[in-house]
Amino acid sequence: MTGSLLLQSLVLGVLLGGLYALLAAGLTLYFGVMRVVMIAHSAFLILAAYLAWFFTRQTGLDPMLSLLFTVPLFFGIGVLMQRLLISRLRPATLTMMSVLLTFSIALLIEGVLGFAFTGTHRRIRLPYSGAHLEFFGASIAVVKLIAFGLAALSLAGLYILLKRTRFGQALRATMQHREAAQLVGINTDRVAGFGFGLGLATAAIGGTALALDSTIYPSLHWHWIGPLMAIIVVGGLGSVPGAAIAAMALGLGQSLLQIPLGTTWAQTFFYLALFATLMLRPQGFFGGRLAQRF
Amino acid sequence: MPSDSDLVTVPARARTSTTTRVAKVLGLLVLAGLVISFPSLAPDSFILSVGVVIASYAVLATSWNFVGGFTGYISLGHAAYSGLGGYGTALLITRADVNPWLAMVAAGVLVAAFAVPVGIASLRVRGASFVIVSIALVLILLLVFQSWGSFTGGSNGIRLPRPFGDDVLRPEQHERFFYLHAALLAVLLLCWWAIDRSRFGMGLKAIREDEDKAQSLGVPTFTYKLVVFVISAFFTALGGGMYALWFGFLDPIFQFSILVGSYMVLMSLLGGIRSLFGPLLGAVIVGYAMEFFKAQYGDTQAHLIAMGALLAIVVLFMPDGIIPALRGLVNRFRPQAASIREVSAAELAEQRRAAEDTGGSERGEKEEVRR
Amino acid sequence: MHTAKRTRSNALRLGALAGTAALVLTGCLSENSAQGGGDGGDDPIRIGISLPLTGDFSEPGKGVGRGYEAWAEYVNSQGGLLGRQVKLTILDDQSNADRVAADYEKLINSDGVDLVFGPFSTRLVVPAAQVAKDYGMLFVEPAGAAEEVFTQGFDNLFYAAPAVADDHYNHLAEKILSMPEGQRPKTAAYAAMDDPFAQGTAYGLKQKLEEGGIRTVVDEVYPPNTTDFGSIAAKIADSNADIVVGGTQYQDAVNLIVALRQLDYQPKLAAFSTAPTNPEFPKAIGQQTEGILSPTGYTPEAPYPSNKEFVEFYTEQHGSPPTEDEANAWTTGQVVAAAVEAVGCADPDPECQGKLIDWLRNNEVDTVVGPLSWDEAGRPQGAHLIQQYVDGKIRIVLPEDAKEAEFIYPKPAW
Repeated sequence: MTGSLLLQSLVLGVLLGGLYALLAAGLTLYFGVMRVVMIAHSAFLILAAYLAWFFTRQTGLDPMLSLLFTVPLFFGIGVLMQRLLISRLRPATLTMMSVLLTFSIALLIEGVLGFAFTGTHRRIRLPYSGAHLEFFGASIAVVKLIAFGLAALSLAGLYILLKRTRFGQALRATMQHREAAQLVGINTDRVAGFGFGLGLATAAIGGTALALDSTIYPSLHWHWIGPLMAIIVVGGLGSVPGAAIAAMALGLGQSLLQIPLGTTWAQTFFYLALFATLMLRPQGFFGGRLAQRF
Repeated sequence: MPSDSDLVTVPARARTSTTTRVAKVLGLLVLAGLVISFPSLAPDSFILSVGVVIASYAVLATSWNFVGGFTGYISLGHAAYSGLGGYGTALLITRADVNPWLAMVAAGVLVAAFAVPVGIASLRVRGASFVIVSIALVLILLLVFQSWGSFTGGSNGIRLPRPFGDDVLRPEQHERFFYLHAALLAVLLLCWWAIDRSRFGMGLKAIREDEDKAQSLGVPTFTYKLVVFVISAFFTALGGGMYALWFGFLDPIFQFSILVGSYMVLMSLLGGIRSLFGPLLGAVIVGYAMEFFKAQYGDTQAHLIAMGALLAIVVLFMPDGIIPALRGLVNRFRPQAASIREVSAAELAEQRRAAEDTGGSERGEKEEVRR
Repeated sequence: MHTAKRTRSNALRLGALAGTAALVLTGCLSENSAQGGGDGGDDPIRIGISLPLTGDFSEPGKGVGRGYEAWAEYVNSQGGLLGRQVKLTILDDQSNADRVAADYEKLINSDGVDLVFGPFSTRLVVPAAQVAKDYGMLFVEPAGAAEEVFTQGFDNLFYAAPAVADDHYNHLAEKILSMPEGQRPKTAAYAAMDDPFAQGTAYGLKQKLEEGGIRTVVDEVYPPNTTDFGSIAAKIADSNADIVVGGTQYQDAVNLIVALRQLDYQPKLAAFSTAPTNPEFPKAIGQQTEGILSPTGYTPEAPYPSNKEFVEFYTEQHGSPPTEDEANAWTTGQVVAAAVEAVGCADPDPECQGKLIDWLRNNEVDTVVGPLSWDEAGRPQGAHLIQQYVDGKIRIVLPEDAKEAEFIYPKPAW
């Protein structure tokens, strides 16, 4: 192994970790506000990627412009999903039944995508797909850099929203203790709906970023849900910074392990991290009181 | 909190009469008779092979229901155990030259042993992690069995020799495997029934209804969950092994598939996870529906959409399944049965939710108990 | 016990339900069984096929389907087989091995077909061939090229294409090894999808080049669902191998090439299976195709007599010339038809099927991909043509006697 390969892998790992972090943040939001493990998150991710691909194919414009409508659309779907579907479930079996419900939504999305676009692998054709920058001997693909930039910007935006705004305070209060939040006058139902919408919006951004430099096909979401689930458990269920840190660490780990182990075995890293976390520290490495309960 | 069925224990027993006992025996006899005569009723060996597939679904769904039905923990990854059972059987036969039936049982035992650490990791914390681990396990096993080609046959798959030798023709083979699956199913149903009646079963159902209260009442919740989880994995592995012996070819993509695991959930849930025959009924309905849909609308993605929609409908509108819904329907025409039984779990939950909305937050109380 | 009551009512209800279900099931699913048999004079010859029309293999599966249908129409327009019309029954196996076996079970038993043709993809060929073997049916298949298909002891199976996967690159291997010492590449990087066919092509070449002294510096296998090729490309670029070989299908090759270009890796020779022959390929990788190599089992320009009719007939029907998938399906039809005409029977009876199998074992068949003959296990005895992008068009460059353009080496930068 040479130094430049190592550096190259580090760079790739950071770029990948950024995308993981954004997506895991979305999953954490759902879990935080509703105690819901949202299996359909990665299906929405692929849906957004398909919308970006379709947008570019139909209009010939840059796929990032599709964000202008996918983000509001997904936010709306998220709010509706929470208000119309998730809130119908019995509180006593919410965790289990919400898994099944979101699982069935994932199947529906996969089926509809397959119906509309067939199972063929698709990829957006970009004039700059092969372009790259030199960085101390490592090359960085422009598309990967754009994807990372999108993810980083959105994460920063999410952070500011959560920490600096009244809505963010209400959201965090709802995540920490729903009843107490209700008592201080927060409309937790509405906040939960918005939290869900925000989570789904991350899938819209992540999907567009993904579509820039990757193939998409309807069943691709299974490929993403495993690593994302591992990330939120390792980070501690319900902790946004925990998810982001775990995403970066696991993304880097995967990228570096690919050098000695190859692609396939490197993927098992996520699952080993998941099992190790549950054995050693079931609440995750950055999770608080909340995670211990679930 | 006791389940709805426990509430009616006394009145139900008080009314048990000769007629109902006769009806019960008759029903079981009819069921058994149908199962036994199915191979001779089937017009050709394709229908027979569909029967084997449905019987296999019934075995897997009933196995799943040991953990899903008793504890309420929904595992989406039971394909991991059926796949391991199948591969274990195949590898023991092809690599170690073990007798096929011995290999099937040995694979079941090995999978049960494997389920112990997995159970410890995933059952220590509440549901969410359990579901995540169950999905992750399928995905990791898919990777391992695909990549470790020198041992597992990798993506080329692995072929199993015929357990009955070459002189047994294919239709004859279907018939034997149909009976074998039916026998395994009978054993499973008996075990489920026995656990359901036992103290162990009561403890498990207490976990399903309220894990915290069960724990405070002295139910060793973790041990109970782990034991029933391992039992479920063992039977699922047997089901997978038997299917592998029948089908004769294993491919990791289809063995370790999330969809297979979710079919088990859908079947059990549809039939009713609290009922002995729920998963069997679900398997018959879903298995038949799949064949029917395929015959009607073969070349579309409709099967995924139908499966997703059906699962969503079941979860949203009848999470207790068909059997309790039918029971409710039957009871409506039987005025003498109208007592506490009328209060279904759904109605209880509705009352609970109503109570919650009017301020006295039940959820808050639960948090208190936990702390 | 409370359960006793539950059990009773459930058992009763279930009994009734199962009874209805059994009746409906048998009635509904086997409506065709009455039409079975069919060895009578003017009945059409029914041919059963299961294809992946949905799922992972749906694109090539549909291509094979078009080829089969075109073949059937062509045969019928020429007066049929043995004077009987040909009727295809095509089922969808959803790219699923469990389904494909059930499909052939249904075709043979419920639908009572006279002959079966093979499905697409190695993964599906093995379970399907098992069913056909159990019923003693001849099994000619268009798409199971991997070595594993031929080592399972199927005595009824024939692969209707020029060469098995491991032999696809034979002409290229000869060409490379015959280069003068100074020009000949010294190191090679291989990346193959974890799929019996794709891996077979790359490893067939790897074995021959290693024997010829060309060192393997990277050997990567990736799962079929891989979408990010950054790390694999980084390894290949870091090794700076002289040649890069991809055991690829379609999209993975595109991704790998884009990732390699992102790292500015410039090999002297680049060969990928399947993908470059796809008409979408040049657009997908942005026209940087010059010099990329690919083996192919079929070209519409091939000089074989029946090929001209095939290309004309197909182009007239579909408006575009056939690709390899359609050609393989057509070839399958030709092979079976040749056996049927020679033996003079087409019914599911094991005796007739046995004669068909014996005939194919001992004879050569002229097809659109050239004359085909098979060894004991059903392996065809030939090699694939090698195509290369020359001046933006894909042309045959190897072997010498079939070439349409000169072999380019070293490859221009991409």
